[in-house]
Amino acid sequence: MNHAVKLANVNFDYGEDFSLCIAELSLKKGEMALISGGSGSGKSTLLWLIAGLLRARSGSITVAGQRMDGVSESAADRIRASHIGLVFQTHHLLPEFSAQDNVALALMAAGEPEKTHATRARELLEKLGIERVHVPVANLSVGQQQRVAVARAIVCKPTIVLADEPTASLDEMNATQAMDLIQQACREAGAALLCASHDRAMQSRFERVIQVDSFVTTKRAHTKSGARA
Amino acid sequence: MNDISIVVNSLRARRLSTIITAASVAVATALLLTMLSLRTASFEAFQRGTGTTHLLVSADSSPLTAVLNGVFYANAPSNPISWAKYQEIKNAFPYDWAVPTQQGDSFRGFPVAAVAPEFFTRFEPVRGEPWQLAQGQFPSKPFEICMGSTAAAATGLRVGQKVFLTHGSGSSREAEHAHEHAEYPFTVVGILQPSGSAHDRVLFTDLDSSWILHAHDRREREGIEGMTTINDLKDDDRKITGILLRLPTRPGRDASAAVQQQFDTLRRDTSIVVAQPAQQIDRLRSIIGNVDELFIALGVAVLLSSGISILLSMHNSMAERRKQIALLRALGVARMRITGMILTEATLIGFAGAIGGCVLSLIGNAIASGALKARIGLVVDPTLDPRSTVMIVAGAIVLSALAGVLPAITAYRTSVADNLRPEA
Repeated sequence: MNHAVKLANVNFDYGEDFSLCIAELSLKKGEMALISGGSGSGKSTLLWLIAGLLRARSGSITVAGQRMDGVSESAADRIRASHIGLVFQTHHLLPEFSAQDNVALALMAAGEPEKTHATRARELLEKLGIERVHVPVANLSVGQQQRVAVARAIVCKPTIVLADEPTASLDEMNATQAMDLIQQACREAGAALLCASHDRAMQSRFERVIQVDSFVTTKRAHTKSGARA
Repeated sequence: MNDISIVVNSLRARRLSTIITAASVAVATALLLTMLSLRTASFEAFQRGTGTTHLLVSADSSPLTAVLNGVFYANAPSNPISWAKYQEIKNAFPYDWAVPTQQGDSFRGFPVAAVAPEFFTRFEPVRGEPWQLAQGQFPSKPFEICMGSTAAAATGLRVGQKVFLTHGSGSSREAEHAHEHAEYPFTVVGILQPSGSAHDRVLFTDLDSSWILHAHDRREREGIEGMTTINDLKDDDRKITGILLRLPTRPGRDASAAVQQQFDTLRRDTSIVVAQPAQQIDRLRSIIGNVDELFIALGVAVLLSSGISILLSMHNSMAERRKQIALLRALGVARMRITGMILTEATLIGFAGAIGGCVLSLIGNAIASGALKARIGLVVDPTLDPRSTVMIVAGAIVLSALAGVLPAITAYRTSVADNLRPEA
């Protein structure tokens, strides 16, 4: 098993408005790839399919050697918790929770022993330069919040990190720093990285660029309704 | 990090709403518990006062009226019983004691009861709690009065002071025609400890004094001048309005198998009415039971409304929590686990409210029991009945958990994709 993720003959659609067909797509362990395409082109949809948050009509999706398609929702939840790290454009941290607790949430979801949560979360945050681990994340700067979000994504040592437009809301300097951080963290964690971005400047950072347009078979007005997790 | 810490964090994040919702459950729980306490207390208060009496004889119109007048001093009995009838009843059966009483006078609206000395020495107003004096002594000579605690507190009378009794019950309707027995001052010689019964509102004197007062009125009507003494009493002046009877029992026992038999025997005499006070009080309870149920229904309605407020509070918070729920789902937390967290949250609010309600009720009962006993002589046990407390607390918690079902379903259905995707 050499692949972090592998998709074969995957079909997905939002009704008649939008459909994706992926004959084959795979990412090796530790490989870093960019999914490129414009807004609404299906980049996020592809990430959600891999994460098991959207269910494909047909085909197979394998993460860390385990099938995500055709399994129960709770089985997909377990695979996601243990093998997939997620980074979102707006971080999606819980503002009333401390930085440490936000990271510990991922450990809790993955079923890691509770007594290890605080230590593991704190050590990783300190490594990423966050010292005020007990402060509610709402009181941290945007850059610090980004670090907390990255820490949450890699704390379970995932097989793959899926980053959905992680720099879309940042200026150029902060975007560079954020991507440096994500790629460095993935490298150190040994995780593959699949990053979705509409920013063409990002392409130079990746050894592999996947154009999502090549998978799209139908596209009208893109809607978010359809098969959902 | 565990499910409970997520729930606690979530409750803390909505601190004000959580406190208000839990407080509404607490108030409802306290209201129900206090109502139940008062209900029990009022039932017990009704039983207090009948004390060790097995049978009550009077010439009232019905057994219930006999008890209302003879035990609760609702009105002065209108029809008298002759002393000869009392002797006949007393001598017909070996009663443990037979205490004659006479009502008809009052002092500032408080009833006066003329009683035989056995009323203080043999009769107990509450079983196992004989009369206790707070001050002075029981009446031992004519024209002496011993006051119930409530009457003493309300009138401010003290031992050694003199009072004049008024003919009639002293109600406002009778007040303008009231006749004061101005020739015969009574001396307050004692004040009783509270008994928690209607007796606390009464002024007690002896039978001879009462008979002399009314014989004096008769003699005035007959044109006879001068003070009336006990030697001036005719047989017809020696009237009573009630007889408290107790049958012999085994030591330490209150019940006697002969009560029903003697009750049936006395009932054959159509010139009197005989009542078993406990039975009549049960009847009274069933009459006022509907009012009591109304109060309980009100308490349940308040509890239900607090359940609805939990539902609304959580339902309203769900809109702002969709992202939190979607994030937990994205991290790999199963739907059912999140549903469980929401239900736990509702249950915790209910639990906190129910415990708060118990504390509130305990404090309220402690304050109320002192005030009620001091003001109206009603004895309320400030402790909570364990059975009803467990039932109400469990009810509040179950209701709160049920109120969490709808928000839990909302949480279960929350779409990850819709709530975590960046806006296009």
